[in-house]
Parts: sequence; structure tokens; C-alpha cells
Amino acid sequence: MSLLRPALLSVAMIAIAVGVLGADYALGQATLVTTYAIAGLGLVIIVGQAGQITLGQGALVALGAYVEALLAVRGVPPLLSMPLAVLLGAAGGALASVPAWRLGGLYFAMSTLAFALIVEEMLVRWTSLTRGGAGLSVPAMAWGGLKADTPLEQVVVSVGVLSLVWLACARWMRGRLGRAWRAVREDEIAAAEACGIDVGAAKLHAFVLGGGLAGLAGALYAHWIGFISPEQFGLTFSFELLMLVFIGGARRLSGALWGALVIVSLPQLIALVRDALPGDSSRSAGLETMLFGAVIVLAVLLRPQGLASAAEGGRRRGRGRAPY
Amino acid sequence: MLSLIQVLTSGIAIGCVYGLVALSFVLIYKATETVSFMQGELLMVGAFAAVALNAGAGWPLWLAAATAVAGMALLGAMLERIVLRHAIGQPHLVAVLLTFGLGLIMRGGLTTVPAASHDIYRLPFADRVLQVGALALSFSHVLVIAATAALAVVLAVFFRHTRAGLALRACSENARVASLMGVPVEAMHTLAWALGAGLAAIAGVLLAPITFVHLNMGLIALKAFPAAVLGGLTSLPGALLGGVFLGVVEALAGLALPEGVKDVVPYAVLMLALFLFPDGLSSGWRGRR
Repeated sequence: MSLLRPALLSVAMIAIAVGVLGADYALGQATLVTTYAIAGLGLVIIVGQAGQITLGQGALVALGAYVEALLAVRGVPPLLSMPLAVLLGAAGGALASVPAWRLGGLYFAMSTLAFALIVEEMLVRWTSLTRGGAGLSVPAMAWGGLKADTPLEQVVVSVGVLSLVWLACARWMRGRLGRAWRAVREDEIAAAEACGIDVGAAKLHAFVLGGGLAGLAGALYAHWIGFISPEQFGLTFSFELLMLVFIGGARRLSGALWGALVIVSLPQLIALVRDALPGDSSRSAGLETMLFGAVIVLAVLLRPQGLASAAEGGRRRGRGRAPY
Repeated sequence: MLSLIQVLTSGIAIGCVYGLVALSFVLIYKATETVSFMQGELLMVGAFAAVALNAGAGWPLWLAAATAVAGMALLGAMLERIVLRHAIGQPHLVAVLLTFGLGLIMRGGLTTVPAASHDIYRLPFADRVLQVGALALSFSHVLVIAATAALAVVLAVFFRHTRAGLALRACSENARVASLMGVPVEAMHTLAWALGAGLAAIAGVLLAPITFVHLNMGLIALKAFPAAVLGGLTSLPGALLGGVFLGVVEALAGLALPEGVKDVVPYAVLMLALFLFPDGLSSGWRGRR
């Protein structure tokens, strides 16, 4: 069963982590992993299924997080505010990708990047709404008498949400949408257009659904972290999400979960390595950045087949049309 | 009127830097089909190397700058040989992540140097003013524009009249045919990265007197993407002109629009340009290819 696998996987991971690290800490980390995985699923659709590239996913997560935070402060119940966050994420995904709609490939990277930078600047400058760089604090998720503010409750909510969207993604991928995405990924002209697939629409669907998932992840993230500011969702975050899906393997849904596990645990592993290295604490920020960069480079070099699916498409050295 | 000319000059000067970075990006992209997200870091490391040689080791400025640029070109060639070669023929995502990772290593490595992360360096002539009649222009702006123009001439000669330049262009047009004609394609890839890194370093050295040298100066490379897109992503002169255009638009936006809007203008221009002129702005008067 498609739902059984991730659920079992998450439960097993959580159980191991609880045993090793202590309950509250482990549950908190598990919440983060499942939340990142939701955003990762969006990238599995865009990158792994449709074979496109996006550099602005972090900004869509930010849109979801800010919608949720602003509505939650005003007492809007999550059942109403979360769909709005998803909607805004999806709208952002559409808006970010539409300029490159006819061009595809690298142009998607450019246009989503530009969109993300605009959103980031807007979050910083629109201080009357977002309080700019000072950030917003977010109340715990609450609905009527129900409240999710202990680690256990939070992990239950995010595993539940992840399972639901996992089911939805599996359904999309099995159906007409998924076939269209894969046809676009493998060969845009011959396979896709010859089969009567609307290539532009297939790409747009991927970006809209991926954006919606990013918005959903952002809404959850805002509650779990309790404080959001624009710098959490900068360009580095977008690249982290790309790396998540690359390391996990973009072709399968489980890639999002594995990748999320790596991305959440990586900073802590890096901190361990940094402490083992000589040098005083003033150098630690630079060392962490260096180690993170080295991990990215090594991961890409040692696992170039991490994106085996897309690599097949890229080896056809078509000119003009950016191969993906 | 005078102040408008001053604003335009500073816009053109900063636009030249955008254009040079865009040029380096497009050069690499055309020759190797590899997307580089580390041009900003190359720019920053180049500028820091020049400052270190000048202020630290006491070399004269011109020698320090030339050595820094040559060193960065060497670094670019080395990185291509060791790492970036693996991105060729792979999907864009591979190159994006590889160059981003290398950029992080460079930025992180520089951050660990205490002298780099604590101080902002300015060059000795940064404050000099050029007086033309009633018009007062910043010396560094005029220098940047003149240097960029000279560099454009040198590059044009290189690409049109030298063997290596012609080979590089052939390789960019069609790698397979070029290799059949005896062009050593792999060596050309290395050359393209060396040139790309060198150009980024030149942009850094030229930017140094305008914005000073600090750890975040590489962020300016983000504005090279709109410039490259304006030029159609495959045209070298287009990238340079796109950069200048963007610099001027940004400077004018700074005059006319409220604070903060100026910074998003390049990205709004990028999205609009993609939407309206998907083949680059120049396609408007050149007609459809």
C-alpha cells in the first residue's frame, strides 16, 4: 500500500530517534523531517516527475508560512487558514513559472529565482504587515478546544498531513497527470506533443501542485517553529530543498522523506564535525558553510545517478532547447 | 540635468559590472551548457585576492589586480578539470547544485579568515572626483565604464580573430561538428571556465571601488541573471548590453520610485522580459531567428 510504506517508515524513524536522542528532541526533529518532506514532495513533482527546475520553492514556503502566521494571530482556525496558505503557494507557483511557460528548462530557473527574490524583498519591506526582518511569532496550532503544542501532538499532525498529501501525490502520479509529466520529462516534442499532451499545461500543473505543497509545508512550519522571519526562507533554503530532492532521489515519493531526513540532520552532523576540528568559535560560521558546500559537491559527484531519470533526458545534447 | 547625468553615469557603471558578470555566465553556459551559480563568489574571491595582494603584501594595485584575475582564471580551469567536468551533459540541476556547493565552500572559506569578515576595504582612489566643467563625476565610475569598453574590444578581437576564440565559438555553436573539425572540445571547456572565472574576477576588481570589498559583494551576481536573460541567454554582446540597460533602469527607478522598489526592479524586468520577449530583447529588432 502506498500509504503504509511512508507511515511505517516515519514511525520506525521516530522510534529509533526517540530511543537514541530522548523523546521530546526526537519528536521535534521528526516533526521537522515530515514538514520538510511535504515541501520535498512538491519538488519530486516538479523536478522528478515533470523534469523542470525551480529555484524559488523557498519563497513559496514563505508565502504559506506568512499567510498561516498572519491568520493564526487573528484567530482564524487552521481548517480555514491552511487551505488559504496552500492556495497562495499554488498561485505563487503559477505566477513564478508562467513567464518561462513557453521556454522551459533553464528559463524556469531564472523566472522562479526572480520571483523568489521579489517575494523575499517584499517580506522585508512590507513592515506594516510582516514586521520585516524583526519577524513574526506564531501561536500554536489550535482549533476550538484542540491544541497542538506538545512535540507528540505536533508530530501526529504533521505525519497525518504528510500521509494525506502522499496519497494525493501517489494518485496524481499514477493517473493522467503523472503520465503527462513523465512524457514531458522524457521527450517534450516527440513523446509529449505527438501524444496530444498539452506540454505547457502539464508544466503549469506541476508548478501549481508543487507550490501548493510548499505553501502547506510553510503553514505547518510556521506553527512548529513558532517564529518566522524572511531570512529563514532565503535563496539558501530554496537550494537546500533542491538538494533534499536530489539526495533523496527525485523519481520516487520516498525520496522526499529520505532527503528531508538528510537535510534536517545534516546541520547537526556538521556541528559535530566542526567541534572536532581545531580553530576558535569565531571561525565556526565559515567552517559550517564550507562543510555544507563540500557535502553538496560530494553528494552530487558521488551520486550523479541520484537523478537518473532526468539525466537520460539531459544527455541528448539538444541545442537551443535547454535539456532537462 | 547635471544630477541626471550623474545618476546615469553611476547606473551605467554598475550596469557594466552586471554586464561583465552576465557575460561570464553566458560564456560558460554557451560553451559547456553548464549553469554557474558561483559567479558571485568568484567575483568576491577575486576582489579579496586583489585587496590582499595590494594591502596585505604591498604590491602595486595594477599588479595585484592582474595577478588576482590570472589566479582566478587558473582556479576556474582547475575547478573545471576536477569537479565541473562531471556536470557536462547532465541535467541543469547537477550544475546548479555543484556550483552552488563550490560557491558555499569559497564563501565559507573566506569567512574563516578573520581579516576578511571584519573589515570593509576601500581602494585609495575610491573617493576621487572627476570635474568636467560643472559636472562632477566619480572617478571610479568613469574608470569602470572605460575598462569595460576596453575589455569588450579585447573580447571582440579575441572571439573574431584568434584561433582559440574562433575554436571556442565553434564549440559553443555545435560541439560535435567542432570536434570533427579538430577543435579540442575538452580543452575549450577548460578555457571557457578559465575565461568565465577571470571575467568574474575582473568584475570584482572593477566593483571594488564602487561598493568596496566585503563578504556580501557577490550578491550582485544575482542581478547578472536578469541581464543575461535580457540578452537572450546565448548572446555575449547581449549580456553586456543587458547589464548596462539594467543598471540604467535601476538607477532611474531609484530616482522615481519609493525606497526598496529599486532592488526588485531587475527581477521584475526579468519576468516581464521573459514574458514579452522570450528570445531576448534584441530579437525585437533582429526579427525571429
